[in-house]
Amino acid sequence: MSPLSAIPQTVYNFGSMPGTDAVRPSAMPTPGIDGTTPLGQPGQINPSQPASDSFGSVLGKLVSDVNQKQTAANAAVDGLQSGSGVPLHQAVIAMEEANVSFQLMVEVRNKLLDSYQELMRMQI
Amino acid sequence: MIQPLSGIQNTVAALDAERTRLDVISENIANANTTHGVDGKPYQRKVVVFESSLQQAMGAGGNGSMTPQLHVARIDTDKRAPLEIYAPGNPDADARGMVATPNINIHEEMADLIAASRAFEANLAVVKNEKSMAMQTLSIGKH
Repeated sequence: MSPLSAIPQTVYNFGSMPGTDAVRPSAMPTPGIDGTTPLGQPGQINPSQPASDSFGSVLGKLVSDVNQKQTAANAAVDGLQSGSGVPLHQAVIAMEEANVSFQLMVEVRNKLLDSYQELMRMQI
Repeated sequence: MIQPLSGIQNTVAALDAERTRLDVISENIANANTTHGVDGKPYQRKVVVFESSLQQAMGAGGNGSMTPQLHVARIDTDKRAPLEIYAPGNPDADARGMVATPNINIHEEMADLIAASRAFEANLAVVKNEKSMAMQTLSIGKH
C-alpha cells in the first residue's frame, strides 16, 4: 500500500497543462484509476543502471543546467544594456527562467538535506 | 536542458510579434504628416502581416514536440491612395495646389495601438501565470 498512491494520476494531469498538449481536445484517459495500470512506479531504482546515469551525474547536470540558464540570462541582460537589439521582454523572461530553475534546484537540495537528516535521526 | 517554463515559447514569439506591430504603428503615427518620403512620395501606411504558421502547424501535426510559433511574415504597405488636400503654400503642392498626404487616419492608428498593446498585455499575463504555476508547483508538499 503506497501512501501516495493517488499521485501518479495527479502528475499525469500536470502533464497536460497548457503548453504541452492541451490543444488536443480528445478525452483524457485516466490510467491507474482501477489500480491495474499504474503510470510508472515512483521510487523504483534499478541498481544495474550504468554509472553515467548515476544520481551524482543527474544532480550535476541539474546544477550545470541552472548555471547555463543564469549565463543565458546574464547574456540577455548584457545585450539589453549594450543596446544590441535584445528586447526587454526577452531579457526579463530569461531572468525569470533562471530564477525558477534556481528555485527548483534549491528545492531539490532541500529535499535531499531533509532526507539525509531524517536518516541521521533514525534510532538504531 | 530543463525547461521550467516550458509553455511560454509561443508566448515569447507572440510578444516579439506584437512588439514589431507596436513599432510599425508608432512609425505610422510619427509619419502621419510626412508629405515627402525617402522616395519623394508621401509616406505610405505600413501594416504588419502575422504568419499563420501557428494554426497550420497545429492542424497538421498537433503533437507537443513541435512548437508552432507566431512570427511576422512581412511588413507590407497599405494600398489606399494618398489623401489630397488643398494647400497651395506647401512646397510639395502640385500645379493645382493639392498636396498628397499619407493615407493615415490617426484614429485608426490609435485603435490599432490599443489592440496591439492589449495583445501584448495578454501575453504578459500568460507569462506571469506560467511563472506563478511553476512556483506553486515547486511548493508542493510544503506546509
